[in-house]
Amino acid sequence: MPNDNIHDEIESWLAADVHDQLSSEERTALAQHLAACDSCRALQQEEKTMHQLLEKTLAQESADPAFEQRMVSRFREKVPAPNGGLIPFFAGLMRMRAAQITAVAALLLTLVQVGKLVTGEGGAFPSQQASLAFAAPPARDRSAVSSAGTIVTGANIPMEGVAEQANERGSTDSIQAKSRDELKKDLNDKSKGAPLTPSAAKMQEQEVDRPDEAGAAGGNKVESTILPAAVTPADSRKLIRNAQLDLEVVSYDAAVQRLTTFATEEHGFVATQSSAKLPNGKLQGTIVIKVAPDNLDRFLQKARGLGELKNQTLGTDDVTKAYLDTDARLRNAKRMEERLLDMLQKKTGKVSDLLEVEKELARVREQIEQMQGTLKYYDALVQYATVTITLAEKDLNEPAAFLLRETANLSLFSADVEKTFREVKSALQNAKAQIVQSNLERDNSGQATARMAILIAPEESDAVIARIKGMGRVQNFNVQTERVAQNGSGMSDTAKVERDKVQLNLVISRTGEEQSVQQTSLRIITSAVTDKVTQLKAAVSKAGGELRSSTFSRNPDGQEVANITLRVPMKNYPGLVASFDQLGEVKDLTVQRNDQPGTTANPETAPADVSLQIYSPGTIVSDETGLTATLRRTLGQGVAALMWSLRMIGVALAFLAPWALGIGLVGWLVVRFAKRRG
Amino acid sequence: MDSSEHDIYRAAIHGDREAFEMIIRTQSRALFAIAYGVLQNREEAEDVVQDTLVKAWKTRWRVRDPEKFPAWLSTIARHRARDVARRRRSVPFPTDTEEPIDPGNDAAAANLRENEVNEQVRAALSTLPELHRAALTLRYFEAMDYASIERTLGLSNGALRGILGRAMAAMRQRLRPALATME
Repeated sequence: MPNDNIHDEIESWLAADVHDQLSSEERTALAQHLAACDSCRALQQEEKTMHQLLEKTLAQESADPAFEQRMVSRFREKVPAPNGGLIPFFAGLMRMRAAQITAVAALLLTLVQVGKLVTGEGGAFPSQQASLAFAAPPARDRSAVSSAGTIVTGANIPMEGVAEQANERGSTDSIQAKSRDELKKDLNDKSKGAPLTPSAAKMQEQEVDRPDEAGAAGGNKVESTILPAAVTPADSRKLIRNAQLDLEVVSYDAAVQRLTTFATEEHGFVATQSSAKLPNGKLQGTIVIKVAPDNLDRFLQKARGLGELKNQTLGTDDVTKAYLDTDARLRNAKRMEERLLDMLQKKTGKVSDLLEVEKELARVREQIEQMQGTLKYYDALVQYATVTITLAEKDLNEPAAFLLRETANLSLFSADVEKTFREVKSALQNAKAQIVQSNLERDNSGQATARMAILIAPEESDAVIARIKGMGRVQNFNVQTERVAQNGSGMSDTAKVERDKVQLNLVISRTGEEQSVQQTSLRIITSAVTDKVTQLKAAVSKAGGELRSSTFSRNPDGQEVANITLRVPMKNYPGLVASFDQLGEVKDLTVQRNDQPGTTANPETAPADVSLQIYSPGTIVSDETGLTATLRRTLGQGVAALMWSLRMIGVALAFLAPWALGIGLVGWLVVRFAKRRG
Repeated sequence: MDSSEHDIYRAAIHGDREAFEMIIRTQSRALFAIAYGVLQNREEAEDVVQDTLVKAWKTRWRVRDPEKFPAWLSTIARHRARDVARRRRSVPFPTDTEEPIDPGNDAAAANLRENEVNEQVRAALSTLPELHRAALTLRYFEAMDYASIERTLGLSNGALRGILGRAMAAMRQRLRPALATME
């Protein structure tokens, strides 16, 4: 504080002095000034007194000693400590910078993962596929090795992927999977000393590949793969082989004959045969042939030459395990039987015991017989392979006959419906025809309509229909012919064609409008429209015509328009048209003539249609001009503009208000939340 | 402000109740002085301090700089006290009950004179601007040194000196007759 300002700022100097807040230099400076300045010295005296007075009065007003403690306890009462809880914990956590960063990072990571999931961009799939592909070849090798004792079927798919093919084989041969594994074990055991040479393995692979080529070439055709390796690798194996063929042949009987020959050649026989003749003379049947398993493949190849192969299934059922089980059980049972027999022979023990033994013996023998039967059954099955062949002659579904069914629809116009209806009925009595349904109805406007459904013998149909047509004016006539195949579908050159009864649906009515021969349309301009219309009407009635419709209208600008359509007999038409010239100036004249050759209508009485428009030019100055009209229009436009702007404001509000409300609400919530946390 | 004090303020801002209670212990007397300066009524001043502390706890997150915590507290107290004073204005100021004066009793006369002076001091005080009153009460209630007052009221040294000087001068002027009798 500069010392030369002391006098000007004596108040604050004095206050700091009495409050003992001056530094030692400042105190000296003040003392120097006071020594020199009387007024300031007087003030200093007063200040000191003031200080004393304040100390005395104000100091006693200060807070009591227990004040702080009271404040603390009251604060505790008013703001109870929060008792933990998850929300405060998270709120506190979120205040920490590290937690914030972690949360953001976690959010980002989650978003990335979700994005990956949605787009399906996963790194895991390709490697899986690769491993699958690598894993496949061994599986194929195995199937090649193991199939030495089995037949691989269903190889009709083109070579697409090794893995897929291996899977296919696995599924088709699922029945054989077990035996194959056992076989493989056997083979491995056998070849332990001398493992399979590479060349042998290669040969087997080639054998596997061959059918694929055939399948690719054959397209949809069913092909089978028969490995020429030994059918039964070990005599002990009990394999039941069966095959199923669907063949389409030209002649059923010839095919059966040849199949029987083949069966005999391959040391087999025809087990069962059944056939059925279809309505179209084609034969269809099933034949079951038993052949020696070793000859099955040769037999099948021969059989396939008989016709077109539609379907083929080859199967092998390995019953070795069941067979051996039964065999073992049989031996046990036999041993049991022997022991029981021994017991009987010794004849010791009580009678009741003997009875027990007898009973037991009977039971065991029954079992033995049962098991022997089973074994025999297996033997029989194994001894012969079963081939089920379904034979069908070509064009099995060919229709046996066709039926031509004609349906005719005829609409007749008749001035007297009831008379015509009676005429038709009487005409049909003499013909080979039959009325299936007929009704005559009269509606509330006095119009009568007759409907009939008639069945006519085919040979008389044309004559009868022609007669009916002559009874009135034909308005509509059409004939539909349908060729219906019987017992089958498609085409056939040999099938007979028969004509069915002709159905005639006849409608006789008056409602049909007689079509006009000539149509004329013209416009006439005149000053007095109403007068001319009256004049025209008079002319029309004189000419024997009828007025069909007329309209009259007057536009705001005074233009009058009358539209009139009328119909006159053709003979009076020229006279009427000539009279139009008297009405006014004829404009836009169009005439259209519809000649209907073949109709019986009289050219004199045939109707002609005329449609006229009679109109006045109208006033040039309309009512819509002038001061009031202009004023009214202008005001109207102004109001419309105002309404439009109002609408725009409404639209703008509708756009903005929800956003403003939403943002305001969110902001308010955030502030509120923050306050509550605080 | 030393570092430990700074830490306490920061802890309180972050929700440490113990730190806040420590602040209550150190600051509530000063707050009382400020409130009293405005209201010149002990009960009301105490209520104001109480309200101030609760409000400060609830809105503590608004203080970004722990250094300014005491000044912020005193601002709340001053605003709160002013609100109370404004609300009170419609209610008639309760006058002290006049005790019966016994002029014969010397002690009673002295007491009466003292009460009169007290009243005069209080009246003079109430004519001062709010900030001046606060500075005076802080000084005389709690005998705080200038540095503490500056921090509490958020003032610079020069400003405080000016304020106290003017406040003392104004008091002197108002109480000159009383002072004259005292000398």
